[in-house]
Amino acid sequence: MSDKFKYLLVCAVAFFYASQAWGQDAKLVEAAKKEGGKAVVYGSLESDTVGAIIKAFQKKTGLQVDYWRASATKVMDRAMSEYRAGKPLFDVMLTNAAPMHVMLNEGIFAKYNSPSAADFPKDAIDPNLGPRYRNVIAGIVYNKSIIKPADAPKSLEDLVNPKYKGKLVMPDPTQHTTTTQWVASLDKIMGKEKADKFVRDLAATKPILVESLLPAAERVTTGETPIAITYVKYVFIFGKKGAPMDYVRLGKMLGDGHYVALNNKAPHSSGGKAFIDYFIDDESMKIMAEMGEFVNRKGIYPPLPDAEKIQFVQMVNFDKKGFAAKKKEYSKLFLK
Amino acid sequence: MNHKAIAIGRLPAVWSLDRAAAFLSQPVNWVFLGVGGIIAFLSLYPSFFLLYGSFTDAPLGVPGHFTLNNYIQAYSDPEAYRLILTSFIFGIGASGLSVILALTLAWITIRTNAPFRKLFELTAIVPNIMPPILISISWVLLLNPNNGLINAILMQWFGLESGLFNIYSIPGLIFVEGLILTPLSFLIIAAAMKSMDPALEESAKTLGSGEFGVATRITFPLMRPAILAAGTLNFVRAVESFDTPAIIALPARIEVFTTKIWREALGSFPTNHNLAATYGVGILVIALVFVYLYRRFTSQVESFSTVTGKGFRPHQIDLGGCRILASAVAFILLALMVILPFMVLLLMSVLPYYHVPTWETWKNLTLDNFRYIADNDRVYRAFGNSLFLAIVGASLCMLLASLTSYITVRTKIAARGLLEGLVFIPWAFPGTALALGLLWAYVDFPIPVYATIWIIMIAYVTRFLPYGLRAVSSTIIQIHRELEEASIVCGAGFLATFRRILIPMMRPGVVAGWIILATIFMREFSASLFLYSPGSEPLGPLLYFLYLDGMRGRVAAIGLVISLISIILIAIAQRLSRWETK
Repeated sequence: MSDKFKYLLVCAVAFFYASQAWGQDAKLVEAAKKEGGKAVVYGSLESDTVGAIIKAFQKKTGLQVDYWRASATKVMDRAMSEYRAGKPLFDVMLTNAAPMHVMLNEGIFAKYNSPSAADFPKDAIDPNLGPRYRNVIAGIVYNKSIIKPADAPKSLEDLVNPKYKGKLVMPDPTQHTTTTQWVASLDKIMGKEKADKFVRDLAATKPILVESLLPAAERVTTGETPIAITYVKYVFIFGKKGAPMDYVRLGKMLGDGHYVALNNKAPHSSGGKAFIDYFIDDESMKIMAEMGEFVNRKGIYPPLPDAEKIQFVQMVNFDKKGFAAKKKEYSKLFLK
Repeated sequence: MNHKAIAIGRLPAVWSLDRAAAFLSQPVNWVFLGVGGIIAFLSLYPSFFLLYGSFTDAPLGVPGHFTLNNYIQAYSDPEAYRLILTSFIFGIGASGLSVILALTLAWITIRTNAPFRKLFELTAIVPNIMPPILISISWVLLLNPNNGLINAILMQWFGLESGLFNIYSIPGLIFVEGLILTPLSFLIIAAAMKSMDPALEESAKTLGSGEFGVATRITFPLMRPAILAAGTLNFVRAVESFDTPAIIALPARIEVFTTKIWREALGSFPTNHNLAATYGVGILVIALVFVYLYRRFTSQVESFSTVTGKGFRPHQIDLGGCRILASAVAFILLALMVILPFMVLLLMSVLPYYHVPTWETWKNLTLDNFRYIADNDRVYRAFGNSLFLAIVGASLCMLLASLTSYITVRTKIAARGLLEGLVFIPWAFPGTALALGLLWAYVDFPIPVYATIWIIMIAYVTRFLPYGLRAVSSTIIQIHRELEEASIVCGAGFLATFRRILIPMMRPGVVAGWIILATIFMREFSASLFLYSPGSEPLGPLLYFLYLDGMRGRVAAIGLVISLISIILIAIAQRLSRWETK
């Protein structure tokens, strides 16, 4: 087969898929307009990020999107309460892995194979939930006007060095679910023995505990506590406002995956499908990355130094009993 | 005329058709049935789901089995009782501090001739407008031991090695919560103080008491119902508050009851509705004990009647040379309650991100956060929704509160105590737990209120009616029955007496209650968050989401605009109240 023929074949296949996707888009949009011309989305993704995507989606399709934003637990509570009452108002759900699996097990999602999902790497596709569209990555973030980069910790183990005592803030692992997962998953990047020792030593330094990851990052921006265990993306989000923040390049970093799913009793199912198609499409992924998110598309990175070098490691998920057991275990270490 | 003549509405011991007809012939009994029916529905319908939830092993909406395991889990842990004790210390400290500050401020602004007293009176309410979480954050930025602004200044001035104050302590927690609670105490106490009869004070003066003696031996004892009302409300409010403990207690490793509820029930994954409801029942019992104590304290209503038919505007005390000192004290209190936290908010609103100000800071000041407000349709819509909820919701709530208060304080209807208990039931559940009950109660309601602004209105009236009731009850207790008796002797019926005598007399309490409610409704979020649909989003959830996204500057800017609007609302309410009096 000549190179020219191969090239033509690739172009033809690409055109076929593109036209198929577009055809589906156009049909869906038409159907969505007959349903009322809108989609209702519940999620825990930041309002500004979703706002930018909705704006582009509306421009392209003319469909309206109502977005209800809350923390992952609250989003799940509301969706499941509505669903159990037989009156779910939402079409699309966007949140992280653990609540998505709980809702999946409750049977509230429809299986929807979006044509846009084909562009994700295979290892980022969950057989039941579809593509993991973004990863939220937690690591060590510090205020570089207080801690000079040369004096900053170089590894997780460095955090227990006495010189950082009283300077580290983290969410309470006995209360904040993502942090419970983070502490419990350290063995995936450190090995069990090292991780167990590190967790014991970390607890012994009595880090300042706060409610969640954002207050931890904010204490770094204000300089009240110069080092935090928090989301790495805050370096970009606060950095673009001028906050002197940086993160420690750990190589492998733990994080959580986020998914999007369609309600199986969606009041506007075509609108919901059209939104999902766009939401995990290239254009939307680029918008999301520009807002500081780590999306699962090859070659698309947030504007954060060395973002492409970060190796994402999925944190472990627990069920209700698993979380309770871990929280109890960490209470003995962190709250004594 | 003895009191039996107006002891209307006593329920007959044995019902017969004749007696039922006699009962229904009294207009006040119709009012009782109407108000009782509305309140019973508002209160019991969502509470039923939560009480049911505490005795079942399945989440709301899923059929489960009867169990006592939730109670065993919640209350068999000895740690829970230690935390309840810590919460009591916190609650008593914060409510006590709020009452002391409010009494001082109310006395200076209402009873003395201190300069600028009207300005102080207006601004004392301002902190009620701000979300408590923002006030807590402001104080952390002012008093944290590492780089709190006040500590940093003191360290620089006096060459200290470490900060003088540590906000992360029980006193710090009580101090901040006390400041947050002071406006509510102030409104209740000030309303009662405005309605005082000067005769008793004048008698004491005639008998040789000085101004200080009159204040301590006559004025403050007469304020007892209002002080108890404010103390009771604020105690429960402090015990069930999570905002301040989350910001201050958690980093200080101080555990209170609400942080335990959060960790084990509301903040657990997935949320344990059953355990949250069970803890809620515990707080309900504590709240009902306090309501009972309050009713015991105020049972001898006549002894607190200070507004009589002989003229009821208290005289002003001439402080002479101490006028300036009184203003200085009021100014210091307001600096703590309003000026310092607001300066931090103002700074936050003009900074791209919050940091300890340096000379470089001036170069980075920005109005972007205010531009966001001006350019954003969502913000406009949220302001419109919240204004509607504040004005209509507070008015409906005060109408219901006035009628309820009249029935519970003035009539001898046998079930009046029950009515008051009903009002307090939804209030005693933690905000988020109640919101879940409301969501479940109204999601399948035959009248389609779910996903409209009306369900938020119902939630506000259900949850905050006790605030209105307390404000108006502490005033109605002080109104002597002779005024109603005179009206009845002159041939007026219940409705005419209520409209022409009691409503004008209760006006200070009604206006105070309206202001409390309108300012809370302008920024409420825990119930709104679960009940709003995207088109009916009020300001509270909007602020919450911006805060959740780390947009403190926008939150501060919107907070400042909310404060401005609320001050205008308060000024209009006070002006209308005075205009009607004239």
